[in-house]
Amino acid sequence: MDLTVKIKRYNPEKDDAPHWESYEVPADPLDSALALLLHVKWHIDGTLSLRKSCAHGICGSDAMQINGENKLACSVLVKDLVDDSGETVTFAPLPSAPVIKDLVIDQSRFFEKYRSVKPWLINDTPEPERERPQSPEEHEIIEDATKCIMCGACTHACPSTWADPDYLGPAAMLKAYRYTFDTRDDGTEERLDIVDSPDGLWKCYTIFNCNQACPKEIDITRWLSALKRRAVTSSASTAA
Amino acid sequence: MASSKSNAVNWFLHRITGTFLVFMLITHFWVQHYDHSVASVTTDVVAQEGELPTYSDEAAAGVKAKFGADAEVTPYNVVMQRLADPVYAVLWKGFNILFLIVALHHGFYGLNNVLTDYIRNPLGRVMARVLSWSVALVLLIIGLYSVITAGW
Ligand code: HEM
Ligand code: SF4
Ligand code: FES
Repeated sequence: MDLTVKIKRYNPEKDDAPHWESYEVPADPLDSALALLLHVKWHIDGTLSLRKSCAHGICGSDAMQINGENKLACSVLVKDLVDDSGETVTFAPLPSAPVIKDLVIDQSRFFEKYRSVKPWLINDTPEPERERPQSPEEHEIIEDATKCIMCGACTHACPSTWADPDYLGPAAMLKAYRYTFDTRDDGTEERLDIVDSPDGLWKCYTIFNCNQACPKEIDITRWLSALKRRAVTSSASTAA
Repeated sequence: MASSKSNAVNWFLHRITGTFLVFMLITHFWVQHYDHSVASVTTDVVAQEGELPTYSDEAAAGVKAKFGADAEVTPYNVVMQRLADPVYAVLWKGFNILFLIVALHHGFYGLNNVLTDYIRNPLGRVMARVLSWSVALVLLIIGLYSVITAGW
């Protein structure tokens, strides 16, 4: 099949504003969307910029807006993007993110928010001789959240992020959940101090866009709600 | 950690008040806007105590002109009667006061959220917060005054 691939191009050194360009690309229904972009880059226009690495949904590099939805280009197939009639696939950078060039966004803000929630194990008790054990049941609590590959599809799908770029966003707060609910972690209070803030948890209005966007199908909203409840009980117990 | 900037309690109350509102709105609409006759009035206060405030003739004429000759122009009396009822007034005043507090908290916390989505500098946020809770406070005072004095 032949497809029309429309890409939102932007080169800040040359262009005043982003603009759409179309390319005719031969494709197999079982190709990934990433293959379409690579065809454009390798055979039509080498100036196209995009991020990719693993091409297998592991590294999280190639989250972008495909046919209007945030997805990993490597993890979605052409057959799921086109119907028999309209054979156009559109690619744009993740919405509301600052664009460096074409499909490449500036992720520095995103990772700043990630680091701000202390996404590591906080535990000051003396190191045990071997590992700090965790039972399968204890792991089950955070299992879903550990699947995050930091692609940013969720945070950039969230209307709260669109309205307020300082909002911590689902990806960072999911990390806060992942460590706060890790039974080996003692950092609840210091992490809650960060997420229980005007740009944190309470700007999550349970819109569920993050759940819909997540390529790993993580039930993000559910875990953020658990974190909110933890913040409520923690603030109630400090008040008491 | 309950820092002063924490919204944990407000968020929690928003859920609680939302749940309350489902039931309170239904009760409010039914009692206030549909069931003009029975609605917990034990006695005919008008008959007992003489007169209650009514719509002025001009207002009544205006209602009839707009909504037809048989339009209902007595709800105000019914409301006043209920709030003057020797038995049920306390119940309805209590209900209305709770409804007032619940709706004001729910609506104004929600409004605060909307405002802080768009106002991003910290000072602006504080001002929006102070301003909207001040408006809520004024409405609370007006509401409390109306509900408490009505019919008494
Ligand atoms: C059936 C009754 C109601 C229910 C169950 C309800 C429930 C809710 C819930 C759960 C939220 C929070 C959404 C979130 O942040 O996750 C909300 C937001 C809000 N509610 Fe209500 N509500 C009700 C009636 C009302 C009424 C009567 C008002 C007006 C006084 C109101 C004004 C608001 C506002 C302004 C927001 C914030 C909207 C936003 O953040 O965009 N609600 N409501
Ligand atoms: S939660 Fe899902 S969408 Fe969000 S960054 Fe992680 S993998 Fe991507
Ligand atoms: S290229 Fe690694 S996730 Fe798509």
